[in-house]
Amino acid sequence: MKKFLLSLSFLALATSLSAQQYLTREGNLTFDAGSPLEDIIAKSNSATSVYDASSGKLGVQVLMTSFEFKRALMQEHFNENYAESESYPKAAFKGMFKDGMADGILTIHGVSKPVKVPAKLEEKDGAMHLTTSFDVTIEDFGIDIPKAVADKIDSQAKVDVDCLMKAR
Amino acid sequence: MKYLLTLSALCFALVGTAQEDDLFDLLDEGETEQITFATFKGTQLINAATNETPGEGVLQYVIAHRFGSFGDEYLYNFFGLDNAQIRMQLDYGITDRLNVGIGRSSVLKVADGFVKYKVLRQQTGAREIPVSMTWYSSANYRNAKYTDGIDHLMSDRLSYHHQLIIARKWNSSFSTVVSPALVHWNLVPDATDPNSTMNLTLGGRYKLTNRMALTGEYTFISNSRYSDGSSFTSPFGLGLDIETGGHVFQFHISNTRAMSTPYWMTQNVYQASNGGLFLGFNISRVFTVKE
Repeated sequence: MKKFLLSLSFLALATSLSAQQYLTREGNLTFDAGSPLEDIIAKSNSATSVYDASSGKLGVQVLMTSFEFKRALMQEHFNENYAESESYPKAAFKGMFKDGMADGILTIHGVSKPVKVPAKLEEKDGAMHLTTSFDVTIEDFGIDIPKAVADKIDSQAKVDVDCLMKAR
Repeated sequence: MKYLLTLSALCFALVGTAQEDDLFDLLDEGETEQITFATFKGTQLINAATNETPGEGVLQYVIAHRFGSFGDEYLYNFFGLDNAQIRMQLDYGITDRLNVGIGRSSVLKVADGFVKYKVLRQQTGAREIPVSMTWYSSANYRNAKYTDGIDHLMSDRLSYHHQLIIARKWNSSFSTVVSPALVHWNLVPDATDPNSTMNLTLGGRYKLTNRMALTGEYTFISNSRYSDGSSFTSPFGLGLDIETGGHVFQFHISNTRAMSTPYWMTQNVYQASNGGLFLGFNISRVFTVKE
């Protein structure tokens, strides 16, 4: 009985340890909505991502104002006219990682849509490396592109996520 | 025995709570700073400077006109367009905070050079800073001939201004600016006249749409008279900003025609009540020189 309880408590301890969570606040998130006429590439180095190995829960979030563009004016236009970053400061994915797919809700510009995209999670030296790449249809998220610039902006933005999460 | 039982219970409890905690709450913790963007569309409001500077590696060209007066044969002069005063300005963003530039205004043929530096940037998040502060200084050289028959020194032609621009973006559409400024004239008519004056500019903008905004400014001046009989009025203006991609068009009506800071700010001679109102515009175009 004594031995049983002892092993039980160890078991419980072990499970609580293996319920490992991973986190980074320095994730890389890039999007490319460029066209042959204009290169529109923005990069953020301060995306936050979390992953819970036991439940499979996966979350990624980025501040819109943390995106850096090559041109200051483009960055201002992005925040002011397209992303409307004051009203909608963050973009987020909240969902699950299962069988090589990230399945959940993507929220951009205050609009939430279910998404299911291929993603990779690799464990390396106790850290968890998340990489994924997918396309976002800008119009789906209520972001209006004026006709005058429609041929400069790709209606599909390619999003690249690269987050190295540390165990916490 | 009982001890072990408690321990294992505790362990189970721990596992339980670990899973109940919402993992996604972690996303919102430890937020980074969010620097307020686009407090104003342009680097100037009408005559007054805003806290904005072109970003790093951005070359800006500004061309500004102040047309003839409403009081001076307005239709004959085609709404004043026949009598335009002009200013051209070229400036460059050395960093996202530091901006230097040169300008030339037709009123008294004044050439100027200026430095603008963003001392403080309004932000939320990790650090809370409620206002932006930008330092702005200029040196101005009058090229126009003096008509008083005196052989003037070169230094007589110089005037300076130093200004602290305090701006706040209250929400996405409303921003204000409060700017105390010291203006120094090397030459004034008489020893009893002040060489240096303190002035205070108040300004604001209200966005009508994402690309259009109403603007206004008013400057309180501390000296309205020189001993030679010249008198000065408080400059003010009302404007409309229209932004189209790389350009900002600013159309306005004001009681000023000079465009170098000491001249419009402290030596404005026009009175709106006497028809001293002028249509004008500033157009700026930016070029990304260094990406």
